[in-house]
Amino acid sequence: MNIDRYPEIRPGKKVFKKAYAFVVLLVVGRGIEAADRVDGEVKDIVRGLPEGFTFSLGVAPSGPWMVIRKEKSGKLRYLGWRRFGKTIELDMAIRNIEAAFRIFTFRESTAQAHNNGRFSVNGNLPNALAIMRIMDIAEIYLLPKIIATLAVKRYPDRRELPPGRKHFNRLRIYLRAFSPGLFRVVYRNL
Amino acid sequence: MTMPAYYDFCSRVKTISGENAMEKIPGLLKGLGVRRPMIVTDRGVEAAGLIDTVTEAIDGGLDIGAIYADIPVDSDYRVVDDGAAVYQNNRCDAIIAVGGGSVIDTAKGINILASLGGKSLLGCQGAGTIRRKLNPLAVLPTTSGTGSEMTLVAVIADTERQEKMLFVSHFLLPDLAVLDPRLTRTLPDFLTSQTAMDALAHACESYYCMEKNPVSDALALRAISLISEHLLPAVRNPAETSARLALANASAMAGAAFSNSMVGLVHNLGHVVGAVCHVPHGTCMSILLPYGLEYNTHRREKAIGEILFSLAGPEIYAKTPEKARPDKAVEQIRMLNEDLHNITGGKHPRFLGEIRNKDGTPAVPRSALPEIARKTMADGARLPNPEEILPEDALMVLEHAWAGIHLDRSRIRKGA
Repeated sequence: MNIDRYPEIRPGKKVFKKAYAFVVLLVVGRGIEAADRVDGEVKDIVRGLPEGFTFSLGVAPSGPWMVIRKEKSGKLRYLGWRRFGKTIELDMAIRNIEAAFRIFTFRESTAQAHNNGRFSVNGNLPNALAIMRIMDIAEIYLLPKIIATLAVKRYPDRRELPPGRKHFNRLRIYLRAFSPGLFRVVYRNL
Repeated sequence: MTMPAYYDFCSRVKTISGENAMEKIPGLLKGLGVRRPMIVTDRGVEAAGLIDTVTEAIDGGLDIGAIYADIPVDSDYRVVDDGAAVYQNNRCDAIIAVGGGSVIDTAKGINILASLGGKSLLGCQGAGTIRRKLNPLAVLPTTSGTGSEMTLVAVIADTERQEKMLFVSHFLLPDLAVLDPRLTRTLPDFLTSQTAMDALAHACESYYCMEKNPVSDALALRAISLISEHLLPAVRNPAETSARLALANASAMAGAAFSNSMVGLVHNLGHVVGAVCHVPHGTCMSILLPYGLEYNTHRREKAIGEILFSLAGPEIYAKTPEKARPDKAVEQIRMLNEDLHNITGGKHPRFLGEIRNKDGTPAVPRSALPEIARKTMADGARLPNPEEILPEDALMVLEHAWAGIHLDRSRIRKGA
């Protein structure tokens, strides 16, 4: 038998989907860090997390990832996409890139994705629930309403989140997320 | 019905039901390679003589390694650690859990530690920590409500943090569930009523929450009809074997249903009320169930309306206009609670403010509601609920449930 007649079939790399997931995780990671400086509810939730608490969210098995830690200052810090050398206390992984693409293109809300078994969670469940709530809040600020309504279970109405506060906080979060700090964290991860 | 875009369902518990079902245990456990099981139970079950009934039924077939009966009503992880040490010291190779929800969940916790090793259950938290088959576990429920004999979940309290730890794994599914009416015959009327309402809450929530699927729907609807048909006869006449057996089956079916489609607001609030105020789980469920339906009606009008068919029968369902069915279902559950309150001489509470401690003080003081509402954010049952539950929402529902008044729907936040 000539083995050369049977070439190895390599799995597709799905470069576009991975690149898209990478950008979404980068923006959400920076958005979460910024939301912790701007939104009162996020600040309250973060206060309940232990100091040094580090979590990662990403796509199994090979990434991309985002890593966030609660610093001594009590604030969340986006550490980038490299997990190596970091002690991850809460590891939230979307089971594969296809599921991640569904979630990141907002065809499935975070809660529905969790209910559909798209996530695997290693770590303390209350902390995972806290992080999911923070992600929902960050998405409400980062995304336009028409998209955010697909991403979260309940998009807050005017009574829950007055438009003035929403737009002001959104502006502050965007300015913080895309501040020179973004280039610093990118440089550190290269 | 609308097919979900995705679902998974797993229920691989060997279930045996009927009079003399317990006599089958030795043969079935031997088939799993068991030689020396440990019986896990509590003092109440032991005092009721049920352990004697169990050991007589399995007499000669198995060598009982130990009987661990030190499980309190509010079991916690330290009891699990203690039980696992007894298991290991007596070289047991399986567990037979005889009791209600607390016993069964504690037995699951003991099985985690005994099978995986380690000294404390605190080291085994997290959804992905149980990665291999555990030792054989047979469950003999003595209440008809928890459904834990069919679930992949164990809820174990951390009394220091006043939280309930949730363990979820397919490896937590027991190997054997034994539904024998001898096990529930001695259950007092008010416990029969409260635990059966727990099963009803499992069935209803699994039918309208976000992970609902056709297989769990079938189990849930049948469980609801069995409970609505047999609960009042079983409470009125505790010796009625067929009603007892029907409730045990309903509980197991509701357990299999919610184990796969999960639960929502009712359990979200109920878990925390139980953890903070030490109120029995079934009590919380019977009180909170109507509020769960009311809170979610705008998101799940059709599904909640369909529950009426199993609750009240085809005639009332057909007579009720489609739009009015969800409210009628809520009304039926409130009527059932009222009937149970009357039959049990007031021992079946109808609202949170009515629950009393043994010394007569309120078990759920109104001042505790904000703390309960805040802690609901750390409970996993909030995720599958169709409507978002934030602390303000939880507090609003709790205030209504505390006073025993219908939910003011204008206060439900429905989003933009």
